Amino acid sequence: MKKTFALALLAALCLHTYARFQSPDQDPYLITDYSRLHPVKVSRVVAGKEEEQLRNLVREARDKGLTISIAGQRHSQGGHTYYKDGVVLDMTAFNHVLDFDPVRRTIRVQAGATWGDVQDYINPHGLSVKTMQSQNIFSIGGSLSVNAHGRDIRNGSLIASVESFRLMNAQGETIQVSRTENAALFPLVIGGYGLFGIIVDVTLRLTDDELYRTRTDTMDVYAYHSYFEREVLGNPDVRMHLARISVAPDRFLTDMYAINYVREDSVPLQAHNRLRERESGVLPAKIMFGISRKSDWGKDALWTMQKALFEREKGQLISRNNAMRSESAFMDYQSATDHDLLQEYFIPVDRFAGFIDDFRSVLARERLNLLNITVRYVNRDEEAALSYATDDMFALVCLFNVPLSEEGQAHTKQAIQSVIDRVLAHKGTYYLPYAAYPSAAQFHAAYPGAAAFFRAKEQADPAARFVNYFYEDYGKDARR
Amino acid sequence: MNIRWLIRSQTMVTLAAGMIYPYYLLFLKNLGNSFTKYGLAFAVFTISSAIASQWLARSVDRHGKRMLVASSIGMMAAMAAFPWVMSYTVVLLLQLLMGVCCAMQKISERTLLADLTERGNRGKTMGEYQFWTSVASGLAVVFGGYLIDLLTIDALFYVSAAIYGASAWATWRNNGRGSASAE
Ligand SMILES: Cc1cc2nc3c(=O)[nH]c(=O)nc-3n(C[C@H](O)[C@H](O)[C@H](O)COP(=O)(O)OP(=O)(O)OC[C@H]3O[C@@H](n4cnc5c(N)ncnc54)[C@H](O)[C@@H]3O)c2cc1C
Repeated sequence: MKKTFALALLAALCLHTYARFQSPDQDPYLITDYSRLHPVKVSRVVAGKEEEQLRNLVREARDKGLTISIAGQRHSQGGHTYYKDGVVLDMTAFNHVLDFDPVRRTIRVQAGATWGDVQDYINPHGLSVKTMQSQNIFSIGGSLSVNAHGRDIRNGSLIASVESFRLMNAQGETIQVSRTENAALFPLVIGGYGLFGIIVDVTLRLTDDELYRTRTDTMDVYAYHSYFEREVLGNPDVRMHLARISVAPDRFLTDMYAINYVREDSVPLQAHNRLRERESGVLPAKIMFGISRKSDWGKDALWTMQKALFEREKGQLISRNNAMRSESAFMDYQSATDHDLLQEYFIPVDRFAGFIDDFRSVLARERLNLLNITVRYVNRDEEAALSYATDDMFALVCLFNVPLSEEGQAHTKQAIQSVIDRVLAHKGTYYLPYAAYPSAAQFHAAYPGAAAFFRAKEQADPAARFVNYFYEDYGKDARR
Repeated sequence: MNIRWLIRSQTMVTLAAGMIYPYYLLFLKNLGNSFTKYGLAFAVFTISSAIASQWLARSVDRHGKRMLVASSIGMMAAMAAFPWVMSYTVVLLLQLLMGVCCAMQKISERTLLADLTERGNRGKTMGEYQFWTSVASGLAVVFGGYLIDLLTIDALFYVSAAIYGASAWATWRNNGRGSASAE
């Protein structure tokens, strides 16, 4: 009797698990990205190892009429790294440092290397990356292709710190691209989402690793802009900045806190520049984050806890390299029915408060489950063809918990489009590595250079060898 | 002759072990090792297990139960330590420790099983034993997957440590009953 019960329990558990995880995004033979949306079957995944092999792959694809999609760490969320029945080129094993010049402060590194690999290499030399994401887990090739940005407020978007790179084009030739050689390609490939060829290796300009003392402040969304101009941009010693807006129902999109990294010269860097390896506090953070995902009181409790933790950070010393490798593990989330997806809106700094008021009303109407908003700053930089920084912008990184069901996705899409309408009304733009919720019309309104971008793509790659879902969703009919 | 306590405590051990085992491999891989280095880590485990068995064999007839308790406590310590490991060398040291624990567990479990059963009348008990330990690992493995998805692999290590602790306690509580020397 007891045995029958135990066996039945085990069998029921297995069946339940099977049924629950039956969705296509859980199928190990399909491929998707960090979003788990839109899984498809690809013909094969090839690990990039040497340049000769990449060349052969491009030629083989040309001869057999295959498509190639390029993948780094696959943290983009809109199908940017794969395409149905095509070849996925996984660049992550292509990750060596090729050249390092500590005097000129440059490093040449293969495109599959991560920022973590670069940091490990340059930290002992007292050097640091100029611009990168808040975390160091991303590949250099993927970061160039999205023209990444992060907490640094003085060095612009990533494109500003790229000196040159080598590109394998659709003909299988490797060419040098910089602001002087093949210069037309430079602003197309950076922020070009892998559509112009394979970035093989990159020469980046570095800066000094520095010691920072953190300074924290609280304010509301209406005071933030002037606070930022006065206390952050206006103080040349502030090098990095990050702010957070409350999503707790009690203080919905009103309370903020900011953390600034202020240069500290009175203490030697050497005492603080050991790279931090271990993420701390993941388990409690993940539990709290999990509760906040499901309930309003959880969101209130999380905000209270975050503020307390944030107070504790005040006055701490941290090296630039350590400030550029922030925690990410607590955000990992696996559920069969829903997922956390990012969206990012760039709003001209003087429009910030007005946009937040609009955003608040859209969110109230659409009932999206918003888990977190962080704010960073990017200064105007229109070098990249698909530049998001058409003005000095606040970048609002929003994490939404969304259902994966068809109806849930349809609602999310419509709701995000309402948000984008408000973004555009405030002369803002949005970030392109995320899910393809915005309509083609919204895309073109945010990126007026897109038609020319896709025309250039067609010229460089007339057979459409390099494709992905970003191209399919926004590029196919945009060329003329 | 009462063998129920042995089945119970060893079911707990299989639960704790089954929960972590497949994910433990992923965990080691996340430390960035090559497959060869995995192989090495497991070879270290077998060597320590082999050596320990020779040295422990002498006293297992008298101290079988104590060995079971010690094995569970050792495994508990190893599980609690894993989330804090930051180097491959420490992984190897823990593999050494776990090798010894495994030897203690295996030889004392088998000896006690033999002691607590009678020649010619063992089949039923062996079947019971196999049944409960198998069901326990099945449940453990599915539960382990859910737990990692929901929390982290660190949480799984801690839960496993707690169950090893409970098995040590369950074994210890039965002191004086059932061990070979007390027969
Ligand atoms: C949790 C999380 C946090 C994030 N934080 C930030 C942030 O702080 N700042 C920010 O700017 N972005 C951020 N992003 C967004 C974005 O996904 C990444 O900046 C970038 O895409 C990640 O690099 P990757 O290696 O994962 O690229 P992938 O997702 O693998 O690829 C991105 C694009 O680059 C192309 N690509 C990759 N490698 C090559 C190559 N060698 N040659 C040519 N094309 C290539 C791909 O085809 C694809 O179009 C975040 C994303 C997530 C999920």
